[in-house]
Amino acid sequence: MSELLQVTNITAGYGDGPAILDGARLTVEPGKVHCIIGPNGAGKSTLLKAICGMLTIRKGDVVFKGERLNGLRPDQILRKGICFVPQERALFPKMTVRENLRMGGYVLDDTKLRDRRIDEILERFPVLRERADQHAGTMSGGQQQTLAMARTLIVKPDIVMLDEPSLGLAPKVVQEMFDIMKMMSKEGVTVLLVEQNAMMGLKNSDWGVVLDLGRTLFEGPAEAVLADPRIQELYLGGRKVA
Amino acid sequence: MTDILQILILGLALGGVIALMGSGLSLVFGVMRIVNLAHPSLIICGAYVSYWAFKLWGLDPIATLPIAALIMAAIGVLLYRLMFESQAKSARYSEMTVLLTFALAMIVEGFLGAAFTNTQRVTSPDYATDAFFIGSLFIPKGQFYAGVVSLAIIGALTLFLNYSRLGYAIRATTQNREAAELLGVNVNLISMVAFAIGIGLAGAAGSLVSFVFSFFPAKQWEWIAMLMSVVVLGGMGSVLGTVVASLLLSVVAAFVGTWVGATWSTMTFFLALFVILLIRPQGLFGEKPELA
Repeated sequence: MSELLQVTNITAGYGDGPAILDGARLTVEPGKVHCIIGPNGAGKSTLLKAICGMLTIRKGDVVFKGERLNGLRPDQILRKGICFVPQERALFPKMTVRENLRMGGYVLDDTKLRDRRIDEILERFPVLRERADQHAGTMSGGQQQTLAMARTLIVKPDIVMLDEPSLGLAPKVVQEMFDIMKMMSKEGVTVLLVEQNAMMGLKNSDWGVVLDLGRTLFEGPAEAVLADPRIQELYLGGRKVA
Repeated sequence: MTDILQILILGLALGGVIALMGSGLSLVFGVMRIVNLAHPSLIICGAYVSYWAFKLWGLDPIATLPIAALIMAAIGVLLYRLMFESQAKSARYSEMTVLLTFALAMIVEGFLGAAFTNTQRVTSPDYATDAFFIGSLFIPKGQFYAGVVSLAIIGALTLFLNYSRLGYAIRATTQNREAAELLGVNVNLISMVAFAIGIGLAGAAGSLVSFVFSFFPAKQWEWIAMLMSVVVLGGMGSVLGTVVASLLLSVVAAFVGTWVGATWSTMTFFLALFVILLIRPQGLFGEKPELA
């Protein structure tokens, strides 16, 4: 198998606190949409934060394109090609759409290249072009999420990680967000997202990863995960409370 | 009518200087959430640099402003590394910085008192006691120069924050530290740079203050209350707000000083602080406090 990112049995937590992740693993294949699901407190967001370098990995490995990422800072991991969009407030509310996009290209030393890519993105997303000089904080939730996702494309990343991109959005808008993700994956940007709504997340993905109590229960093609009886058990009870 | 214009001019010139005194405080709070109670004591350090350069070598305080700014910026780097860097991840960072900077203010005051005594000082270049006359109006040259230089420095700061790469990074860190870090901004370095700029602005303000006001180490207590008033009225962290609030309060204070009595002039600032906190705690240009 030609995996792009391989996470094997990692342990991680916040500061000196208890381990939130303990035995989490994950396989990411190029050009697909991957969805991490699991109940509240399963460690879904924590897993993304550990991959992008915001948390120290205590045990286990994160290997990207054959290279170990453990111990690197978020900016170093970004330069390697992994971009993370955190939950909700990923934008700079008092900067304009264009300024937000400029910040998206902060690590690019070639400012002409950066400006060209900003123009490309504004061309592709008319909703952003119309609001290029508007403060990001004044836009609707869907527009803000579109900006947050579009902003990642400036550095042409290999992987975009999204933490609950559907949070607080109307169902119709949520579908638009998934359409953008599919478009991104068709263009070769691999997507890894965390989704609270397991059904919806898996229906819109190629690969599913099921997390519970900080470890990966199983992973596989999204349809298979969706049909797996263990999902019912996980969400409708039946497991012992730790 | 002439009276009103005269008071307005005096208020605006002084407001410009106060704006510069407050802008560093505002920047440091905006980027690092450090409530720097030691800011006025560091302004006084800058004032001593220009005072002694004038006294010993006859150097003009406006000419020595860049030197005072650079010296204070370097001290800013040291202070940041010593006092704040290790605390950056503390959950009670802002509260802690209030205590830390309060202690720093006392230490600086003690040190300055021991080194230079508590004698009132004022740098006295020729223009400090001269004035322009336009018809029946007069503009004290010292205050005028200080006001103009202050606003020029703040203008340069604004251009820097809005158009340079470093300025973008500083604003981004102010608005959303986590997102800035994820986009590749080294937020620790940016915090240190912003702190150094803030303290450098204190040094620059000190040079101007040295010939506008008389100063001595304990003068900081009067200034911290005044500066907190303008920074809170402007909206904590907003440099533009600080400028508007400084000009506004200084003009009001000038009118109060003339029409009500000089002793009531400083009261304007404290009364304004009290009223703002009651009716609009986020200030003129500040963010509304979050509900969560």
